[in-house]
Amino acid sequence: MRLCIVSSPLLFLFAGVAVSADTNAAGNDFFEKKVRPVLVANCYQCHSASAKELHGKLRLDTKDGIRKGGESGPALVPGKPDESLIIQAIRHLDGVEMPPKKKLPDYAIADLVKWVEMGAPDPRVGNSSTVGGKINKVDARKHWSFQPVKVIPPTNKDTVWSRSEIDRYIVDGLNGKNLRPVADADRRTLIRRTYFDLIGLPPTPEEVEAFVTDQTPQAFEKVVDHLLSLPQFGERWGRHWLDVARYGESTGKERNVPYPNAWRYRDYVYDAFNADKPYDQFIREQIAGDLLPAKNDTEKNEHLTATGFLAIGVKGLNERNREQYLMDVADEQIDVSTRAVMGLSVACARCHDHKFDPIPTTDYYALAGIFRSTEVLAGVKPGNNKTGYSGDFVSLIDPTKKPTADLDDRRELTKLQGELKEAENALAKTKDVIAGAKKGEDKKGKAKGAALKEVRAANARETALVAELKQKIEALEKKVVPQGASVMGVKDADRLMNCRVNIRGEVKDLGPEVTRGYVSVLTVPQSPDINLKQSGRLQLAVWLTNKSNPLTARVMANRIWYHLFGSGIVSTVDNFGALSEPPSHPELLDYLAHRFSEQSWSVKKLLREIVLSRTYQLSSQHNENAYGVDPDNKYLWRMSRRRLEAEAIRDSMLAVSGKLDLQRPVGSITQQLNGEVGRQAKTDGLKKEVTFRSAYLPLVRGMVPEFLGIFDVADPELVVGQRDVTTVATQALYMMNSPFVHEQSVEMAKRVVAAGSTDEARIDQAFRLAFSRPADAKEQAVSSAFLAEYEKSLDASSPSPSRRQEAWTMLCRSLLASGEFRYTY
Amino acid sequence: MFSLSRRQLLQSTSCGFGMLALAGILESLGLRNTSAQAASESANPLLPRQPHFAAKAKRVIFMFMQGAPSHVDTFDYKPQLEKDDGKAAGAGGKGNRKLLKSPFTFHKSGNSGIEISELFPNLAKHADDLCLLNSLHCDLPNHPQASVQMHTGSFQFVRPSMGAWVLYGLGPENQELPGFITLNPVGRVGGAQNYGSSFLPAAFQGTRIGGEGEPLARASVPNIASRGVSKLDQRTQLDLLQELNRGRLGQDKVNRELEGIIESYELAFKMQTAVPKLMDLSDESPTTLEAYGIGAGSTAPMGRKGGGGGTDNFGRQCLLARRFAEAGVRFIELSHPGWDQHQQLRARLTANCGAIDQPIAALINDLKQRGMLKDTLLIWGGEFGRTPHAQNEDGRDHNATGFSMWMAGGGVKGGMRYGATDEHGIKAEENKMHVHDLHATILHLLGLDHTRLTYNYSGRDFRLTEVHGNVAKEIQA
Repeated sequence: MRLCIVSSPLLFLFAGVAVSADTNAAGNDFFEKKVRPVLVANCYQCHSASAKELHGKLRLDTKDGIRKGGESGPALVPGKPDESLIIQAIRHLDGVEMPPKKKLPDYAIADLVKWVEMGAPDPRVGNSSTVGGKINKVDARKHWSFQPVKVIPPTNKDTVWSRSEIDRYIVDGLNGKNLRPVADADRRTLIRRTYFDLIGLPPTPEEVEAFVTDQTPQAFEKVVDHLLSLPQFGERWGRHWLDVARYGESTGKERNVPYPNAWRYRDYVYDAFNADKPYDQFIREQIAGDLLPAKNDTEKNEHLTATGFLAIGVKGLNERNREQYLMDVADEQIDVSTRAVMGLSVACARCHDHKFDPIPTTDYYALAGIFRSTEVLAGVKPGNNKTGYSGDFVSLIDPTKKPTADLDDRRELTKLQGELKEAENALAKTKDVIAGAKKGEDKKGKAKGAALKEVRAANARETALVAELKQKIEALEKKVVPQGASVMGVKDADRLMNCRVNIRGEVKDLGPEVTRGYVSVLTVPQSPDINLKQSGRLQLAVWLTNKSNPLTARVMANRIWYHLFGSGIVSTVDNFGALSEPPSHPELLDYLAHRFSEQSWSVKKLLREIVLSRTYQLSSQHNENAYGVDPDNKYLWRMSRRRLEAEAIRDSMLAVSGKLDLQRPVGSITQQLNGEVGRQAKTDGLKKEVTFRSAYLPLVRGMVPEFLGIFDVADPELVVGQRDVTTVATQALYMMNSPFVHEQSVEMAKRVVAAGSTDEARIDQAFRLAFSRPADAKEQAVSSAFLAEYEKSLDASSPSPSRRQEAWTMLCRSLLASGEFRYTY
Repeated sequence: MFSLSRRQLLQSTSCGFGMLALAGILESLGLRNTSAQAASESANPLLPRQPHFAAKAKRVIFMFMQGAPSHVDTFDYKPQLEKDDGKAAGAGGKGNRKLLKSPFTFHKSGNSGIEISELFPNLAKHADDLCLLNSLHCDLPNHPQASVQMHTGSFQFVRPSMGAWVLYGLGPENQELPGFITLNPVGRVGGAQNYGSSFLPAAFQGTRIGGEGEPLARASVPNIASRGVSKLDQRTQLDLLQELNRGRLGQDKVNRELEGIIESYELAFKMQTAVPKLMDLSDESPTTLEAYGIGAGSTAPMGRKGGGGGTDNFGRQCLLARRFAEAGVRFIELSHPGWDQHQQLRARLTANCGAIDQPIAALINDLKQRGMLKDTLLIWGGEFGRTPHAQNEDGRDHNATGFSMWMAGGGVKGGMRYGATDEHGIKAEENKMHVHDLHATILHLLGLDHTRLTYNYSGRDFRLTEVHGNVAKEIQA
C-alpha cells in the first residue's frame, strides 16, 4: 500500500492522523521510546499477563487490552487524552490514582498525554507481553527497505528541463511540492564542485579556463571522464569507504598497539575504486577474499589484503578472558559488516532481540558463529605481553620470486599432506575414545584402565606428530609459494564452530547453540546454504552481494548520492532499519540501486550518470519562495552548499601553495612506531608535517592528525557513513595560528607574486587559485587597500620588499581561512 | 562580593554580539541528531542549556588519581583491620596473603568527626565539607579497563566520556573557553578515550592542556598564540578575512554556516586573549601561590613510576581549576598518576598524598571564599582501590570490589560517609555504588536525569549509564 502524494504540510499532518497507527513509523518510534518503557516499569506489575493478579481486569501489555480496557471501561480514547481513563489516573485526578503509590514524573505524564493525542500508535501485536515483543517476521518484512528493489518509472515524461531519468524523478518530487528548480550553476562553480566531488582537489586556474572556453557539447562530459580516470579519484572515494570500514592503524582502546600493516588494506581500497572493481566483488573480497578463487598470484594477494577489512578493527588487548576477547572481536566484525554493507545494526542483538528491528539474538549468534570460525591475523595478541605484538599476519605471495622447491620437495609435500591426514584421523579417534570414557558411556569397547592409558598415550603421540607435520608442511609450502609481504587479514580457523547464545551478552551464560546462518528477516532467493565445512564467510559474502538482497545496492547507491548532494535520499545513511528516515525519493533510490547492480555494480558508471544529470548541475543560489517551502533542500530545488571534508581542505591548501605531492607515499608513518602508543612508542613522527595527500596521513586511533580531528574526520573507532560538520573556534585558531597554514600562505604568496606583473593581476591570480574564479572589483579594492595598510603597519625597520611579501602572505592566509575556501557551492 | 562580580565579568565577556549568528550555526550541530532528538531538544548543544531539573552544582572538578589509591590507608577507616593485622585475609583475599593494617593513623576530623588518614593533614581541616563515598566498586581490577570505565561507563565499547556527556547536557557557561578541559591527562590507560566524545559531536570532547608529566607552566591550548604576528596586524588581517566572508554572505543571502564561520573567528580572536590570561598565574598574590604550594622548593620531579613530586604541578592544576571554574568552564579534570603501590606503600603513598593534600585543601578554601564551593562539584578518586591484605610485605594489590572516592561542594552533604565496605575493606557491602551509580549521581547533582540524557547514534539512544545507574540521593544536601 502506498500513501497518495500529499501537497502541503498541513494536509500531511491530517494524513498522519488518518493513516492507521500501524503504518505510522514515527508514532511507533515514540511508543517504543517514550511510552512502552513507562508502561513496563510502572504498570505491568498489575496490568499484564505477567502480573501475579490482574487488577481491574485491565491489561496494558497489549494493544487490544489497552483499548478495550478493564472493569472501568476503555482505558483510552485515541486522540482525546482528557477523555481517557488512563490519563486521568496518571494525573491523579478524579479519585483514581495510578500508579497508586507514586505519581509518575511530569515528563512521563506529558509523554503519555502526547501519545494519546497522537492517536495512541501502538505497534504491539498479539498477546505477548515481553518487553521487546516477539518478532513477527511476516509483518517485519513489510518494512520498506526489506522489500525487493522495484523500478517504477517517474510519472512525468519531461524532456524540456530534464536530461535524464534521474531528473524526472526529481521533477516528480518538486511537482509534489509546487517547487521549481533554480538556474544551472555557472561553469566555474560547476567545475570546482565536480573536481572536489570526484577527486577532492580544486581545479587549477588553467583547467577552469579551459572548461569555461570549451564550447563543445561534450565539454562537461570530458571533464567528468577525465576526473574518473585519475588516480586521485580512488583516494577520494576510497577514503569515503574507509569511513564506514572504521579504518584505523592501531588497536585503540586501553592498550593502543599500532597496526604497521594496515596501510596495505588502505591502498587496496584506493586501488579498487580506481580500477572500478565491481562493488559486489569488492564486498566479497573484503568478507571472504581468502576463500575466493584467484586467477594468479597478484589477484590472490589482492584478495588476501582485502580481508584486512575484518582485521583492522578496535581490539581490547587488555581483555584477559579469551572467550570474551574473541566474542568482542566477532562483535566488531558483525557490526562493521552489517552496517557498512546493509545499513543494519545487527550488533544491537548481542544481548537481547533487537529493540526496533526484526533481528533476534539467534541471528546475531548465527553470524557470530561465522566470525568465530574465522581466525583474525592482525599481528597483535591479547594478554600481558610487553608490546602487544607477537600475533600472526597473513603472508602474501611474492610474485617476483621463483619457487625454490624442486620435484623432490613437491613429492615430499604431497607425502606429508597424506601423513597429516592420517595422523589427524588417528588423533580424532583417540579424542572420541577419551571423550567417551569421560562421559562414562556404556558402549562396547569402552576404554578402561590400562587400555585407556594407552589411548591417552596415543593421543599425545598423534598430537605431537600433527604439530610436527604441520611445521614441515609449512616450511615446504614456503618453498613452493614464495612468501611476500605481511598483511592484516583473516583465514578460516582450524576449529570451526557454531556459537551458543550468550544470554544477555554474557560469555559465561550460555543458551542454545545456533547454526551458522544469515539475517533471517531478509529473504534472498538463490542464496547458498552455509558450508559448515568452512567458516561460512564465503556464503555470507555471496548472500550479501546477491542482486536480490534488498539492502546492499540501496545502501551503497544512497552513500554515493549522499557524497554528491550532502544528504542521502535516506538521510540516515548507516541505518536502513525501522528507525531510519524513510527515503525522500523512494522510486529514485530503487532506480539507482537497480542501475547500480545491473551495470555490473560499477561505482564509476553510477557516479557518471548522477553527475551528468541536470539536478547535479544546478546552482546553489538562494530562492526565497523555495526556501520557505523546503529550507533543507530535501527535494533538491538547488544544489546544497557543502563544507569540504578535512582531507579536502588540507589538500586544497597544499594544492594552492604548490606544495602538494600527488605521489602515493610508500606505506604509512605508523610503521615507524615501535611498541604501544602512550608507552614505549615515540609518536613525534606522527605529528611531522608532510605534503602528501591527507588520505595517506597516519590514523592511529586516539591520535588522529590535529587538522583532521579539528575538521571532523570520521572517528576511526566507529562506522561513520556521515561525518559531523561543526564550526568551532578551534578551527579558526588553527587557520589563524598554526605553522602549517602559515607555511602554505608563504608559499602561495610566492606563487602569486611571481604570477603577475601588476598587483591587480596578482590579486586576481590569488582568487583564481583559492576560489576558481577571478576577484570582483570590490575584492580587488579591499585586497589592494589591505596590502598597503598591512605593509605600512609593519615595522619600518625591515626592508620594504620583505614587508610587501609579508602583506601578500597575510592576504593569501585570509583567502585560505575564508568560508568560501572550505565550501563547495 | 568582589569575587562574584569578577566572575560575572569573566563570564559576561562571552555574551557579546554575534550570539545569534552562533546560535544559527550551532543549530546545524543539533540537526545532526535525529529528528526525534532535535524535536525534543529545542536548545542547541553548544549554548548553555537548562538542566532537567533545578540543581545546585553547575560545574565539575574531577581529580583523577591514576593507579588506584589505597582506600584503607586514606578515606576508609577500618578498625577491624588493625585488630586482625597479620591474619589470613579470608574468603575475599588472594592466596594466603595476610591482612596488613594501615601503617597510617586515622584522626577524627571536623565537627562531624569522620576519620581521615594522617596523610591528609590539610584536607582533614575540611572534613565537614567532604562526603566520603566508601562503597564504590567496578567490574575489573585492571587499570586500563577500569580507567576507561570510570571515564566512559564502558570498557567494552568506545563511548563518550563523562565530561563530554556533561557538556552535551549543559553546554558551556562561557563561549570563549573550551567547555571541557583536562589538565595533564594520563597518556596510557585509554588515553584520549578518557576525554573523547566518541559518537557525540567533536565539539564536546575535552581540550587537553599539557600531556602526562608535562609541566603546566609551559602548556596551553593548541594554536592559541599567533607566532610572529602582532595582535594589531592579525586584526588587520582578520578584518580583510571577515570582509571577504561578509561579501560572500551578501551573495549567498541566507548562509548560516558562513555566519558561523565569521563568528568562530571573532570568538577565536577573543580566546587568544582570554585563555593565556586565564593561564597566567602572575596576577595571583604570593599568598595564594604559596597556599596552593606553587613555586620554588615545591617543584621536585615525580618519581620513576609517576607518583610523588612536589606540590608545584598539582598546585598549578588546582589553581587553574579554580580559575577555569570561575570563568565558566563546565567540566575540569585534573590528573595525578602513580598510585599503583604494589610495594613501598609507606613511602610512595606518603609522597603522593604530600603532593596533592595542600593543593586540594587550598582549592576548597579558595572556592569557599569565593562563594563557589556550593555550585562546584569536586570529585576525587582513582579507577579502583587496593586490597587490605599485603603484597610484597609493604604493598597492596588491585581491588575492584570495594574502594573509596569523595565528593565536596556542589550540593552534596559534607561531613558524612556514604556506604561501607566489609570489616576489612575488601568488598563494598552497604549502599553499594557501582561506577554507573556514581555517574548517575554526578549527573543528578548537575540537574540531569541519567535516563533522559540520551543521544541517538546508529539508530538507538545511548546513555552514559547504559541500562544501569541508581542515584545516591542520600548524599544530596
